Amino acid sequence: MKSLIRFGMLSLWMGSCLWAASADESRGSLVRVRASIQPYDQFRPWQKKAPYGLNGTGIVLPGGKVLVTAALVANRTEVGLEKPASAEKCAAEVEAIDYEANLALLRPIDVKFLQNFAGVSMGPSLRAGDTAQVWQLDKNGEMLRNQAEVLSAGVGRYPSDEAGFLLYGVRVSLSKRDDSYTLPMMRDGMLVGMMMGYDRDSQEGTAIPVPMIEHFLKDAADGKYEGFPTLGVSWTSLRDPNLREEVKAPKTGGILLTRVNERGTAGRAGLQEGDVLLSVDGFKLDEDGNYQDALYGPTSVGNLIRTRPVVGSPARFHLSRGGKEMDLAGLYDRRARDEVSIPSLQFDIAPNYLVIGGLVFQELTGAYLQEWGDKWSERAPQRLVQLFSFQQELKRDPKKKVVFLSQVLPSEITMGYNQLSGLVLEKLNGQEIDNLKSLSEMVDGIQDGDLVFQFMDDPERIIVDSGEIKAKGDKVGKDYGLPTLRRL
Amino acid sequence: MDSQLREARRNVVMVEVTSQTWDYRLPWNPGTVSSARGAGFVIEGKRILTNAHVISGARNITVQREADPRKYAGKVLHVAHDCDLALVEIEDPEFFKGTTLLPIGTIPELESVVSVYGFPIGGDRLSVTRGVVSRIDYNSYTHSGRESHLAIQIDAAINPGNSGGPVMQDDKVVGVAFQGFRGDVAQNVGYMIPTPVIRRFLKDVEDGHYDHYVDIAIRWMALENRAMRKYLKRPNDGLGVVVTDIFSEGSSDGVLEKGDVLLSIDGHPIESDGSVRLEGQPVQMEEIVERKFAGDTVTLEVWRKGKLESLKLTLRPAEMFSMYENIYEEAPRYVVYGGLVFQPLTANLMAVLMGSADLRLRQTYSMFGQDQLYRETPEPVVLTSILPDPLNVYLRGLAGQVVREINGRKIRTLADVLPALEAGKERTVILFLGDQRPAVLKNREVDQATPRLMAQYGIAEVSRTELGNRRLAKGSFQKVDSK
Repeated sequence: MKSLIRFGMLSLWMGSCLWAASADESRGSLVRVRASIQPYDQFRPWQKKAPYGLNGTGIVLPGGKVLVTAALVANRTEVGLEKPASAEKCAAEVEAIDYEANLALLRPIDVKFLQNFAGVSMGPSLRAGDTAQVWQLDKNGEMLRNQAEVLSAGVGRYPSDEAGFLLYGVRVSLSKRDDSYTLPMMRDGMLVGMMMGYDRDSQEGTAIPVPMIEHFLKDAADGKYEGFPTLGVSWTSLRDPNLREEVKAPKTGGILLTRVNERGTAGRAGLQEGDVLLSVDGFKLDEDGNYQDALYGPTSVGNLIRTRPVVGSPARFHLSRGGKEMDLAGLYDRRARDEVSIPSLQFDIAPNYLVIGGLVFQELTGAYLQEWGDKWSERAPQRLVQLFSFQQELKRDPKKKVVFLSQVLPSEITMGYNQLSGLVLEKLNGQEIDNLKSLSEMVDGIQDGDLVFQFMDDPERIIVDSGEIKAKGDKVGKDYGLPTLRRL
Repeated sequence: MDSQLREARRNVVMVEVTSQTWDYRLPWNPGTVSSARGAGFVIEGKRILTNAHVISGARNITVQREADPRKYAGKVLHVAHDCDLALVEIEDPEFFKGTTLLPIGTIPELESVVSVYGFPIGGDRLSVTRGVVSRIDYNSYTHSGRESHLAIQIDAAINPGNSGGPVMQDDKVVGVAFQGFRGDVAQNVGYMIPTPVIRRFLKDVEDGHYDHYVDIAIRWMALENRAMRKYLKRPNDGLGVVVTDIFSEGSSDGVLEKGDVLLSIDGHPIESDGSVRLEGQPVQMEEIVERKFAGDTVTLEVWRKGKLESLKLTLRPAEMFSMYENIYEEAPRYVVYGGLVFQPLTANLMAVLMGSADLRLRQTYSMFGQDQLYRETPEPVVLTSILPDPLNVYLRGLAGQVVREINGRKIRTLADVLPALEAGKERTVILFLGDQRPAVLKNREVDQATPRLMAQYGIAEVSRTELGNRRLAKGSFQKVDSK
């Protein structure tokens, strides 16, 4: 914007001075966040990909902690904070992170680093039509305030979530900055949202509303982060009168549960597939699954069950089953999401693997599948796609992980097997394999003789000699430069 | 060379075809009309040999010779879509005045020179291009979409319009030009159908109709690993492949077992990479089966559980995989009920749905063979579209779902749909794979809406379910379906 180059130069020698002199509301609320990111290479699980940097804006909270989007610090190796005016720097740690809600809380290593920052407090929830400002820092620490309008407030998709959370649709004209991750949406000096996505062409973006942020901070406050609850159901609208008749739904309202995860909040409370869910915690649901929100008006049930309650709080359901109305009660949890055979969210976590004489075994994750690119569901081995995408209806035991032969590093031992990939391992020497660790222990326990690997698909089995693995297995690792042959 | 050219000019013909292609999005429509040109040549018996893809879907065929400006009406005598060959006959004897016939030769040597005759783009008269034989190998035959057979790669230019024309060496036909790559993919790569495939086709039709290629219907793995050989108690002699999967209803079903080591086929030793020597050339062992016909047998030397056995297979086509083959003659089959359009899952349908098909439909298609889904559902039925009507206003999100049950009856083929719909009393309840909601229709409302829907969408018949001469898997489910 304006030429303020001198500021940057000045800050070299009189940073803190300068800071104190201009402690207005805006300067006291934002820091730069520089994250260096290095994701694991899912196709070569023993190594990481090339590192790169992400720059974003952090929102300083009272007490000196910093709020950012989780996307900014996913797969980080290091996070640093930088004061916008003085460029003073301090390393930071992630105190709590929630990839579903796209929120993370950072704590500077030096607790006093942000002690002069006032921090921002939480503002009100916004409705469609409300206005706010989106703040950006320019190169020299100067604040740009862009007028923003909330276009919509309702349940929408977050980048790393499957179900949906409360979301603002925002129209704002933002200039291109390198610190564009996590821009605060402010009103009257208070935080009302955090921008998490923006399309420069349409000048529209999405923002995380304050109720989401408050839920996250409240959860993180006790040091034990639990996350947002889930119901663990699939449902469909009951607008169709023929369908209502078929499922004996009452005259109005309610949604049809088409699948209920027995481990989830709803399943544990006793809800079943085919039930018509009429109300949750006293909030009546209409035929499209909306309840009447005091602020937002008709809002999807997703907000009712995910943003409002916390894990462990009581849940009450009113439903109709086969034409008879009944009440069920339970506790909100998120086991339907967390206790799964194949996890979908996998940031920061090193993929585990086991190399046996050149045969590379991995545990299946959503992160592995996404490594195949945007069209992963077409390009990845179809058996793996199936097990992952339909794991709910396949009712896979969450304790039973999917161990698969991801690739073969050709060696003397693997001759004739070099083309194999994407094969789900079922048994070793007749014993079922539940995870990579048990596979590793079994292989270690077999001193000599054949290792008979049995797969779900063709070829049904392959054989390697355990004596040969003992004698030459390490050499394969050396030849391919693997730091270790396993990570469990 | 002069005599070859002379013979070619007498016997190579231009085949002009007006064809109709079905629209699988609107299966009740007769389809779009288009015209194309290919080549063919006179063989013994006053028949014209050409490619199946030249005449597929033909509504009108005219054939013209170099020496005679008249166009003669042609008629398809036999067509083999699996190996892309067809025979055309011409009733008017005038046509054959001055023709002789082109004799069928053998497989040419690598690097030997061949000439390609046809009517490719760039002019209207007979064209000749020359090249050498570059490679003799298995290749997919794109016309069928599923089949692979022996094919010979040549570096002579093959362009649209060459299809069906002879590739000649000396005075004999050594192949039929049939496919190539687009210029932006590869240059100087053309393919011809070699004479073993041509001969097989001509022999097959001797009895008056064409049967499909037969298939051994197994999967096998090369037996190159020492530990694997030791486990299977096979010496390190470089022979044998191991059977890894057997398809139910296929030729090997009930005869071979997983883990069998195949050592020889009809006396030809099988190398550990799955090749056999045929006329001195290494070819994939399937080539032995390829040259046989339905009902023929093949003898396998099999190493099973440490013992040598000699087993005999009776060969048959792999009908259960016919879903993966492009359909040409058969009109698209469908059932329309209350604006809901049901169609069997076929390669043709997937071709138009590609991009819009959801994961479950794609997986039903791609896993159909591998998981032998045909045992339960020989022909999955898809609710492909919903013709908007007040009747089905709440059902529109269900397009693209795979039908599991109608009125409590399992839907295993399209033939199950109409009886299941008729079994409904007041309501029809349709269930889908996965956790989709059911579709519920009131039969009285459907009956009232049907004339309106048919008039509005120009549908003459509410269903077309006859299968033609294609056969589906029999399936291995309980035949009695109760409700």
